[in-house]
Order: sequence, then C-alpha cells, then structure tokens
Amino acid sequence: MPTANFMAPQSRWQIPRVDPSNRWIGGVAGAIAREVGVQPLVIRISFVILAVASGAGVVVYIAAWLWLISRQPAPGTPYEPTPKGETAQTRHAALGLVVVGLIIVVRAITRSLFVDSVVLPLGVVSVGVMVAWTNRGQSTGHATMARIATGALIGVAGVIAFVLLATSPTTAILVFLAIAAIVTAVALLAGPMLLKLTRDLDRERLDRARADERARMAAHLHDSVLQTLALVQRHAHEPSRTAQLARRQERELRQWLYLAPGNDSSAPNMVRLGPALEQMADRVDEAHGVPVKVVVVGDTYDLPPETVDPLVLAVGEATVNAAKHSGAKQIDVFAEVHADRLEAFVRDTGRGFDPDAVPKDRRGIADSVLGRMKRAGGTVAIHSTLGEGTEVELSIGVSSTSSDGNQPGSPNEKGET
Amino acid sequence: MIRVVLVDDHALVRAGVRSELEDDFDIVGEAADAGEAVDVIVSTKPDVVVCDVHLPGGNAPAVIRGVVARGTTTKFLALSVSDAADDVIAVIRTGARGYVTKTINGDELADAIRRVHDGDAVFSPRLAGFVLDAFSADLEGSADPELDRLTGREQEVMRLLARGYAYKEIARRLNISIKTVETHASAVLRKLQLSNRNELARWAAHRRII
Repeated sequence: MPTANFMAPQSRWQIPRVDPSNRWIGGVAGAIAREVGVQPLVIRISFVILAVASGAGVVVYIAAWLWLISRQPAPGTPYEPTPKGETAQTRHAALGLVVVGLIIVVRAITRSLFVDSVVLPLGVVSVGVMVAWTNRGQSTGHATMARIATGALIGVAGVIAFVLLATSPTTAILVFLAIAAIVTAVALLAGPMLLKLTRDLDRERLDRARADERARMAAHLHDSVLQTLALVQRHAHEPSRTAQLARRQERELRQWLYLAPGNDSSAPNMVRLGPALEQMADRVDEAHGVPVKVVVVGDTYDLPPETVDPLVLAVGEATVNAAKHSGAKQIDVFAEVHADRLEAFVRDTGRGFDPDAVPKDRRGIADSVLGRMKRAGGTVAIHSTLGEGTEVELSIGVSSTSSDGNQPGSPNEKGET
Repeated sequence: MIRVVLVDDHALVRAGVRSELEDDFDIVGEAADAGEAVDVIVSTKPDVVVCDVHLPGGNAPAVIRGVVARGTTTKFLALSVSDAADDVIAVIRTGARGYVTKTINGDELADAIRRVHDGDAVFSPRLAGFVLDAFSADLEGSADPELDRLTGREQEVMRLLARGYAYKEIARRLNISIKTVETHASAVLRKLQLSNRNELARWAAHRRII
C-alpha cells in the first residue's frame, strides 16, 4: 500500500473512531476520513466506485465496518486524529491511487462484467468529481471555481474516453447508470447545502419584512399614540380636552388598524365615503369637543367626489350645528351607500327646536346645509322635537356610476324648515 | 339583583367597569384570561358575563364554547375596543347576545346588561351597521332564505339602530311596541348566529385586518 510512504513522522495511526451522530450508513467512511485527514465525501465516493467494480466496495465496506465495530474503545475515551501525510493533496492523491489499485486488483481476480471500457472512464469521472469537491469548505471562491472547472474538465474527458472505448450497447447503459449514480450521490450531497442556503435566504427575507413592519408600526405609534399621551399628560387638569385627545387618537388608530389601505383608491379622482366622514367627524370633535360616532353601510367601492364632497360638507355643517346648539353629549352619523344614491343621517338627542319658530342663527345654518345640498342636486329634511333631539336627513343621487345607468334622484324638497 | 362576572385582561378596565356597575349589579367574580374565566363562570354561575373579546389564552368565543362545554348556561355581552367586523361576527356567532365597545358609558352598559339578562339582543349602532352590510349583498344559492335574509321590518329596525335610536324611540317612530322591536332585534341576532350564508364569512374576511 502506498499510503505508508506519505506518513509524516509525528503521525500515529489509531483505530478509526465511528461517530454515530455523523454517519450515512455505518459511519465507516467518516471514521476513516477523520483518521486519515481527508473529506469524508472522498472516501464515500471511493466506496461507491469500488462498489461498481463487481461490488468490491460493498464487501470492503462491510468488512471494515465489522472490524471497526469490534474494536471501538469505551465511549468517552479521548480521540484526536492527526492528519496523515504532508498535505491534503497528497492524502487525496494517495486515496485515489488506492482506489484505482483496488479496481485493477478486483478486475484481475474476477474478470468481471466491468471491463476497462467501463471502469477506466468511470474512474476518470470520479476523480473529476473528487477534485471538484475536495476542500470545498475551506478555500476562497476563486480557488473553488478553478477546482470545479478542473473537475468538470476531467469529468468530460472521462465521458469522452467512455464514448471512444465503448464496445457494446450494454456497457453503454451500465456506464450511464453508474454515472447517474455518482451524479445522484453528488446531488444528495449538495442538496442539503443548497436547501439550507435557500431556507436561510427565505428566513432572512421574512425577518427583514418583519423588521420593516415593526419599524413602520413603531414610527406610527411614535407619531400618534406617544404624542397624544404626552398631550394628555400636559392637559391632565382639563378633563374635556383630555377626553377629546383620547377620542381623536382612538379614531385615528382604529382607522389605521382596520381601514389600513386608507384612501389610496385605484382611480385617482374617486373617494370613499367612510374615511371622508370619519375625517369630518374628527374635525368636528376637535373643534367642538363633542364625540361624533360614524357608522357607514355599503361603503365597498369608490365614489365620484362631486357626489361625496357636497354630502360630507353638508353632514359636517349639520354636525357642527348639533354640536354647538343641541347640548347633546354625542352625535350619531349614519350613512348608507345605495346603488343609486347616498343617504346620511345626523342625529342628536339634545334639546331640539320647534321648526316653526326657528331662531335666526339656526335658520342660517339650516339654509347653508339646504343650499349646499340643493346645488348638488340632493335633498335635506330636518326633523326636530323640543326636548328630544334633532335629526337631519340628507340624500343625494349618484350620477356617474357607469355600471348602472341610474339617473340622479330628482331633487325633492322634504324639509320643513 | 343581576349577578355579573367581569372578564378582561386589564385590571384597570375591570376596576373601572366594576365601579360603574357596583351599585346596580352584584359583581360575583372577575377573571383575567380565558381559562380563569371558564372556571370562574362555571363556579359562580352568573346571570350575565361581560366579556372582553381579546383575551390571553383564547378569545371570547373560546370562553363561550368552554362554558357551554361544561354545561353552564349564562348570557354573554361582549365588551371590546375592537371594531373589526370579523371579531364582532365571530363573538356573536358563538352565542353572545350583544356587542358593545368600551367607549360606552356606564348607564348604557347597565342598560345593555339588563337587556341581555332579559333575553334580548343588544346592538350598538356599529353592530347594526355590520349586520346591514353582511345581509345586504345579493343572495346566490341560499340554503335557507328564511335565515339568510332580513325582513323589511328588521332592516328598518337595524337602520334606526345604526342611526343611534334607542329601542323605545324606534318603537315610537315605527308605531309598534317596544316588545315588538325587541322581537325583531332578537330575530336578527338569531339569523346572524344561525345563517350559514357564505356572504357573512366572506364579508368578514374581506374586512379583516391587514
């Protein structure tokens, strides 16, 4: 055996130690590789090649396994293998020679099916694979590329040699099977590594997305909630201001959480009724300190602003009116999107008024609500009972909905002001 | 006196609600998470449970199912800061008799508890709005039209609730008795719980957060 020639003086041969946690079959290849100081893969490929040579590899493997198992020391015994030979290259070269030698010996003994035309090209291809894979963890990208290129060249040379030497279709099939086996083995080796790589990439991407989301959340909380909390502390002695701040923050946060995409409608000149009314409610609350609760039904598509804007403005004025004069603790705004029209109700349970004896200032506001809606082709009705509250009813036709050819509702004055 | 259990993971909220209700109700227990809630409710057998929707260890629907599984009958009123449609629908569909938000004032909450105790349904304006939305879309392949559609009167009642009307105001406006309004509301609640029309689930999913 040529191996002994490469033994460095300080190296001491020990019985290879089988590591149960790091094995493919019996752990033989790994054990030998550790003891010799080469990549386990190289030993494994060698066994595969030898197995192709009339199954010699299988016999050798089983024999080595039985021998190793019977000579394993007690668990826990220290084991520090020293690399044999001067360099990794010499060790790998030695191993290659051992394999080639064994193949020749096996061939000489058995005169088997696997003749030169098969074994030689196969050996060349295997050497190519070995070269490509040796030391893959330790070298820089440049050297790795060079090695893979060299390995590929040798592999191609092997295939060409096979084609030139091929004597019959049977051998051709056999060799292709053998090459396929080796390629599969390599794929199996590289597979987990590639899989791990893509998984790491995926996880990294996910982590980044999470971090982004967190940052967005933190930024929003800082801009809104923390600011409001600071304001609340500063205004702690003014209960109405504090309540107002809290309400505004609540509405804003709700909008952000539950209506996330907001008003970025696909059509640039279209608006959603719900968010527009919420904004209006927010402004009234802020200006007059009365909570405005908004409920919107059927708000599932964008609407033309020439319909929404007058309605929202008129609702806003009715709401301000209620906030200023009704004395109610809360104002309810309900709006519904129908196929052909928008409806809105502004209701308070305040002191109410007698529509027949309207004070001048209220009349003015009612007129501005009325006038605005009229100009936009809508209707307004005001119902009020002294001591019970007021409700303003607004309706406006949706004109430019292309899907249904509905005409705008004909202006129909129902108001009793 | 109506016996009440409070379930909320925030001690501050429990304390606040307790102080608002103490004079008119017998608060027999409190719980801060889903598991504790089921134990407390099963052992104290209250008339009404005021239950937060989001709880550690399982949300309100899990508590309702847990209590039912252990054979205790009680009535649930969901109290939440969340206005997310799927939360509302989920808790009503597991059997809560009403859903109110935490911004409700003390008197309104007391009223809601009494109503739930009397076997009636409690609709906040927002819940009424959700119901109108959920039942509004056109029906296709409805398995049970009886359950999958609101009657004209029920729609009227829901619209008025959404506009902020109280039951007695609705009764007066529609010229019907309060009892009839309550019957309509209960019928809507039942439909909301039993109707398996896809629209409900699809609509709730559509309104999901994110």
